Amino acid sequence: MAVDMTMSILVVDDYKTMIRIIRNLLKQIGFENVDDAADGQEAFAKMQENKYGLVISDWNMEPMTGYELLQKVRADEGMKATPFIMVTAESKTENVVAAKRAGVNNYIVKPFNAGTLKSKMSAVLGDF
Amino acid sequence: MPAANVAAQVRTSLASLKAGDLQGAQIMEVLKLAHQLTDTMKLFFSSLDQSICQEFNYIAEYISRTRDEIAALRPNDIKTQRIPTAGAELEAVVGDTEKATETIMSAAEEVLCDDGEDFAAYRANVEARMMTIIEACSFQDLAGQRVSKVVNSLRHVEERVARFADVMGVRDADYAPQEETAKEKRDREQLLNGPAMGGPETSQDDIDAMFSAMDTPPVNDLDQGSIDSLFD
Repeated sequence: MAVDMTMSILVVDDYKTMIRIIRNLLKQIGFENVDDAADGQEAFAKMQENKYGLVISDWNMEPMTGYELLQKVRADEGMKATPFIMVTAESKTENVVAAKRAGVNNYIVKPFNAGTLKSKMSAVLGDF
Repeated sequence: MPAANVAAQVRTSLASLKAGDLQGAQIMEVLKLAHQLTDTMKLFFSSLDQSICQEFNYIAEYISRTRDEIAALRPNDIKTQRIPTAGAELEAVVGDTEKATETIMSAAEEVLCDDGEDFAAYRANVEARMMTIIEACSFQDLAGQRVSKVVNSLRHVEERVARFADVMGVRDADYAPQEETAKEKRDREQLLNGPAMGGPETSQDDIDAMFSAMDTPPVNDLDQGSIDSLFD
């Protein structure tokens, strides 16, 4: 099935610069419909209001981490099928394993480039 | 006379008094006993005074040495100068970095947004933005100098604290481990380790391999058909 290039993507990061970088990368890849949130709590509230085709989230945020957001999303009947990619500087094996067990669809370690983002998005959403 | 001998005499005198008729004891014998007791007590208190005096001398010396070491540590200099200055330098680094990132990203975005219909104008725009990016990269020099100052301050504090701990004979094992703070508990539970030194601890390739491995069902989860296929 073809990937809907007009779908809304939620980028969650507490650093505005990182949100801006991901927005630009997504734009280059072909996704223009991008929303953002500064932490898991704000993201979860936005997810209750809107439907997103993909969540790209950082891990280390206050007050709600990306890991907590992932757990909440997977526990919510209406949101649990939403594809979720973690983009983080947390690169310990225990983090990757914990995220995978919590139901993350893919995991990108910072710093990353457009190629890595695109390949992980393709792995989750299908080729585009 | 040594204290042990006096004590032995007191014990002998007491035994002899107890063995005899206390009612009829001679006053001289009681006086003799009292005298021996006084000698014993005198010896006891003189030795006690001497050891207490030595203890007080040791404590006084220790306090004096500690005061000298604390003065050498220059805690007020660390508290009012070095740490606040280091904090301000790091804040400046964050500010400089943010400013440079903003400049660089804006320049890059302007190039990306240029439709390039007029080639000459497009080229001029790209060249101007590239120069802006190159100029903005000068933040690295300033940031490097600021970070070096912070590193020097930290080294200064480290040296003094290490010397103080060494002179005072302080060992971490002497103290009970500190109770975990709420933040430390949250960091542990949420696996908040932060960026690793010298690049990611697990590379993207290794993470990809882990995802592939975890996507493959473990052997004990294979169904009978899959098990059978292993034996074909």
